[in-house]
Amino acid sequence: MEVLTVENLSKNYGNIKALKNVSFSVPAGTVFGILGPNGSGKTTLLGIIMDVLKASGGGYRILGEEPSSKQRKQIGTLLETPNFYHYLNAVQNLKIAASIKERGEDDIERVLEIVNLSARKNSRFNTYSLGMKQRLAIGAALLGNPDVLVFDEPTNGLDPVGIAEIRELIKKLSKQGKTIIMASHLLDEVEKVCTHVAILKQGTLITHGDVNEILVNEDMVELASADLQQLHAALLKMPGVGNVDQADQVVKAYFPAGTANLASVNQYCFSNGIVLSHLQLKKKSLESKFFELTN
Amino acid sequence: MLKLLKTEWLKLKNYNAFIIISSFIVLGVFTTNYIVYTVNKNIVGQINTAGLVSSFNPYEFTRTWQTTSYATGWLLMLPALLLIILVTNEFTYRTNRQNIIDGWSREDFISVKIMLAVIAAITTTLLVMITALLFGLFSGTSFSLTGFSHVGFFLLKALSYNLLAVLISVWIRRTGFAIGLYFIYMGAENIISQLLDVWSIKLRADHGIDLGSMGDYLPMNASDGLLTFPDNPLKSIAKSNLPTDYTWLVLLFAVIYVLLFFMLSRRRIIKSDL
Repeated sequence: MEVLTVENLSKNYGNIKALKNVSFSVPAGTVFGILGPNGSGKTTLLGIIMDVLKASGGGYRILGEEPSSKQRKQIGTLLETPNFYHYLNAVQNLKIAASIKERGEDDIERVLEIVNLSARKNSRFNTYSLGMKQRLAIGAALLGNPDVLVFDEPTNGLDPVGIAEIRELIKKLSKQGKTIIMASHLLDEVEKVCTHVAILKQGTLITHGDVNEILVNEDMVELASADLQQLHAALLKMPGVGNVDQADQVVKAYFPAGTANLASVNQYCFSNGIVLSHLQLKKKSLESKFFELTN
Repeated sequence: MLKLLKTEWLKLKNYNAFIIISSFIVLGVFTTNYIVYTVNKNIVGQINTAGLVSSFNPYEFTRTWQTTSYATGWLLMLPALLLIILVTNEFTYRTNRQNIIDGWSREDFISVKIMLAVIAAITTTLLVMITALLFGLFSGTSFSLTGFSHVGFFLLKALSYNLLAVLISVWIRRTGFAIGLYFIYMGAENIISQLLDVWSIKLRADHGIDLGSMGDYLPMNASDGLLTFPDNPLKSIAKSNLPTDYTWLVLLFAVIYVLLFFMLSRRRIIKSDL
């Protein structure tokens, strides 16, 4: 079952093409990350899905149906910034959200507890810190315990403890079987919580699918010796090595993340009659993978 | 619609600007008319003492409906100002987006704003009715509904002012600019209207062409033109030189403009990015 299906979605702002024929689908029960640098079209994409922006072309379906306001009532969404009435307190603001969503007000205390705002629930929104505003927006999205949640940069403005709490919350919600669509430019965030990912660059969808297939995190060891071909052949036989590439002056050996041990590599080469002139561990991080994909 | 209004009330009931401006409107209706009553009583009373004109009380039945409607018309800037603040605030704080995200349709959002404009118009009209009735009863004359059509004209004028406020708000979106543009437009239209009125008089005098007071065919002046202060004896003499008063045509224009304001506001919200 697909929670969201996006088909050839495009959005133009004058001559600027913010989204170019983007197509993908979000399977139910996944934590689906929409990853991309600033200005890649993540928020535009979610804005169209939430009907605050009009698509220039293409379309989308939610739970297999044409999108409607009725469906949005069943989805908890935080889009871009926390948007609340500045002169009202948390409870009064959540009453408005609950009223629009046609959910009971009895859930307000629960969500305030989840986002640790119970103590400040009677303070006006304009007295909140950025982090508290973000928490309130997440709380509003959780109203009525929806099965589908959309979070756009959910950890914006949060301190490290807050970031960790929100990550845990997302993991917990995912374990409850909820589908979470999360836009982020923070690779670390996506790596830690997402099961699936779509990568956008300048409005174009570069790739999408299982996060482990797309953002494989590997250790890379760079080696050099007098005879690179001999070194290459020997490394191919070394236990634990994934892939081996030969570049101009070096050979690159890839290991699963966290398993590369330079002492063992050195010892293995020496025992095979190879004296290394260069040996360096270079973590092939998510970041380098992301740069590789987006550049 | 009741659900939408209930949600809207949650936004309004704790908003200080709403409470303060609404209080000004309620008090303003009574005090404005009291000032007009007092000024008229003193000035016309003094003229009358000099024996120039016959006795004239604009708050007697049947004139009270027209006088109160006309005098209160000057206060209609206040509900318009309130509506501009309420609608543009939604754009400033992006709560319009959040309302849609949470599950309102764009149609719901604009409908409730239009409803607010209509409710504000009806409320001020009710205040006019009560004020006119009280002043009429205190004048010592017998109750009469003759001239009550002016209260209807007041409702149309209030709708016109309020819906123009909504229209400018949804197009401009920024509070300061929207308020500025609203008042600049009102002033500009008044000047153009007066120039057109002068031209109408010249056309009639020089060429015998009587197209009515053409200034009254402009958007805001159409509903303004329907409401005038009751003719005192001096004004009646001057009237013989003015173009014909095509009330039905001005009324038609006023209704068309109100509908136009509504449709353009709706179109803006339905079709554009929020």
